[in-house]
Amino acid sequence: MNENVLQMKNITKKFGTFTANDNISISLRKGEVLTLLGENGAGKSTLMNVLCGLYKATGGSIFIKGEKVKISSPKDSTGYGIGMVHQHFMLVEALTVLENIILGKTEDRALFIDRKGTKEKIEELSAKYGLGIDPDRKINQLSVGEQQRVEILKALWRNAEILILDEPTAVLTDEEATGLFEIIEKLTGDGKSVIFISHKMKEVLNISDRIAVLRAGKLVSEFKRGEADGSTLADLMVGRHMVESEYSKMDIDDGVVFSARNISYNKESKHSGLNNVSIDVRKGEILGIAGVDGNGQSELAQLATGLLDPDEGEIFLKGEKVTTFSAKRFIDSGVSHVPEYRNKMGLIGDMSVTSNLILKSEEDPKFAKYGGWMTDAKSARGYAEEQKERFDIRCSSVDQDTGELSGGNQQKVILARELSLTPDLLVAAHPIRGLDVGAAQFIHDQMISARERGCAILLISTDLSEVLLMADRIAVMYEGSIMGIYDGQKPPTSEISQAMAGKVQEPSA
Amino acid sequence: MDMFLNAHFIGSLLQSTLRVTTPLLLVALGELYGERAGMINIGLDGIMTLGATVGFIVGYITVNPLLGLVIGAVAGSLINLIYAYSTITLRSGQIINGMALNILAPALSIFMFRQYFGVTTKLIQGTVIKPICVPVLSDIPIAGPVLFNQNPITYLAFVLAILTAIFFNKTKPGLDYRAVGEFPRAAETLGINVIRKKYIACMICGALAGLGGAYLNTCYIGTYAEGVVAGRGFIALSAVIFGGWRVRGLILATLLFGFTDAVQLRFQTILPVIPYQILAMLPYLSTIAALFIMRNSGLAPKANGVPYSREGH
Repeated sequence: MNENVLQMKNITKKFGTFTANDNISISLRKGEVLTLLGENGAGKSTLMNVLCGLYKATGGSIFIKGEKVKISSPKDSTGYGIGMVHQHFMLVEALTVLENIILGKTEDRALFIDRKGTKEKIEELSAKYGLGIDPDRKINQLSVGEQQRVEILKALWRNAEILILDEPTAVLTDEEATGLFEIIEKLTGDGKSVIFISHKMKEVLNISDRIAVLRAGKLVSEFKRGEADGSTLADLMVGRHMVESEYSKMDIDDGVVFSARNISYNKESKHSGLNNVSIDVRKGEILGIAGVDGNGQSELAQLATGLLDPDEGEIFLKGEKVTTFSAKRFIDSGVSHVPEYRNKMGLIGDMSVTSNLILKSEEDPKFAKYGGWMTDAKSARGYAEEQKERFDIRCSSVDQDTGELSGGNQQKVILARELSLTPDLLVAAHPIRGLDVGAAQFIHDQMISARERGCAILLISTDLSEVLLMADRIAVMYEGSIMGIYDGQKPPTSEISQAMAGKVQEPSA
Repeated sequence: MDMFLNAHFIGSLLQSTLRVTTPLLLVALGELYGERAGMINIGLDGIMTLGATVGFIVGYITVNPLLGLVIGAVAGSLINLIYAYSTITLRSGQIINGMALNILAPALSIFMFRQYFGVTTKLIQGTVIKPICVPVLSDIPIAGPVLFNQNPITYLAFVLAILTAIFFNKTKPGLDYRAVGEFPRAAETLGINVIRKKYIACMICGALAGLGGAYLNTCYIGTYAEGVVAGRGFIALSAVIFGGWRVRGLILATLLFGFTDAVQLRFQTILPVIPYQILAMLPYLSTIAALFIMRNSGLAPKANGVPYSREGH
């Protein structure tokens, strides 16, 4: 069991002046699970994209079973038995499972598709590893977990000996993740090797034979199973000793700011609709919405900010019934929005930090000249400098385009703009998604201080630990419905994760 | 009304429907090959014009209209490489490049024609390819002359349509080809050379558009006139949308547009009270109506019109 099936030696990958991988060396043995652990942007995916031929390495070499190889396209890597399950699935939605599996270069060189024979072979392979996939179904009819298994099947179909799983559990419920780990066990038991990419400590400790920690493009250290505990790994991953923040929880009833009564929108859809949703967000509290991605959270955020018009039900803002659904109506009532896609909805990337900061306040007499026809560039700039200091926005100058900033600094620009309006309701969707720990903590601190001043906050996140950390009350969404509302003070975590999978414990009658 | 119902009228109407459908079908098939690889080309009209001119000049010089057709297709394929290089390699916008072809190709056509024939008002007559009359079968009443007394290119167009349907639905290369238009990144990870497929798609598209244009001057009418294409490229473009990016749909859509065109040509002589300009609008109106009906069908290839880069995110 000690033979190296793969070695990557001194791999460097540069994008322009940015070094995504800096002299990284790893090795993989037959039948083992090697985990690459690291924060977003640590270079894990880049390294794997080099291995599977999507990126061309700037330097370094790759050895398969001791032999030096050149991998310059996915075709090459497939030939060497490397299969990758990408974080964003590479499945063609309009085609069936079978069609997706046989796409591209495979052993089968026949011109015409032999549907019957292929189907039997796929079913056989699927049964062998307990994947449970029907080859005739269309991809868009499958759940996320099933799609992931199709990806695994796709790799196995190409005789993969080395399977790369890029953040596979990010999109899964706890139950589906357990299922995945069973599949991984079957694969390694069969002599295949797995490279597992993750930043979730618990599962990493559970399934890895070895763990390689990456930080800022460099390999920091490597451990065998049992050599390091969670907090050591976390510190190495972040690069300093982390004190996990803790926030006090509130239980106040100082009046309701936002109230949704029996709201439905596109309710036939399980993944992009709302079904009879009723929630209240109170003054000075954070209501957290937990749930796996794509269960109607986006629609809830859009509803609470006036971007969509519900099919049924009523909305009340500060006690007043809303009849017009427009962003302006909601902004005028003191609703601020940190949207889920910071580049698509939150910022205009080709405009400067200053311009983005005053986007909602151009008519404010502070910035407007000649009755609103012109912007007072000087006062806008001064204001931007102030916000830059206050929110610790790291940019070369306030004239820099926001598109060039890092994710964390982009989020700070959005938060600065939204909080400067002293909102009564802040709707924040995935506020720390893709941010490093430091930036995430800063964003959370700002949200907490907004709460202290009496702002009601609707926090939507697919990261349960974020919701548990921040929320005073927790609502769980599943397939467009609210499964239950739980206390944030002593959250019943197992009940909550059950609810996230659509299971609600019946109160014992 | 008797004259509408007699067998001869119907027969000749259907025969002419197939005749005018032929170029639309050829060009629409070309565009299907393009869009299935994610390449929307609104420059079809321009390519057709170039194909028509080159086809006519070559046919006139060599007195071989068949050679004219072939060279017309080659010319279409070559000029579409400009679009291909600009949109695939340089990743600039497909619409603006298609528009550029629509301006460049007709101007180039007029230039070439005047270089050869000079500025003239004389009507220049070229040789045309005659219909092939299939013995026995063409004697069947009505259906005979409609189906079996047609131009060879008409047969070619329909055979090509059937082969295309088989290619996309039954073969493995066809499946790979479709993946490029749906999700090029996924195709790339599976070892499909996306860039090469896209270039091939553009060459097929250009060749068929050039062929469709050349058909007009070597099979349909024997003389050359500026503006002979008359928006047929755009009609073919809408036929792809109206046909839902499926070959069967494409055939039905182009037949519908061909039929309206054939009808309006007949009505121009039968109903002289109606100004012919109004009747001549019929095919274009039916195109717009068809697009209204289809609106957003959701059948389009998902990555249609989206520039692709290998290391892009």
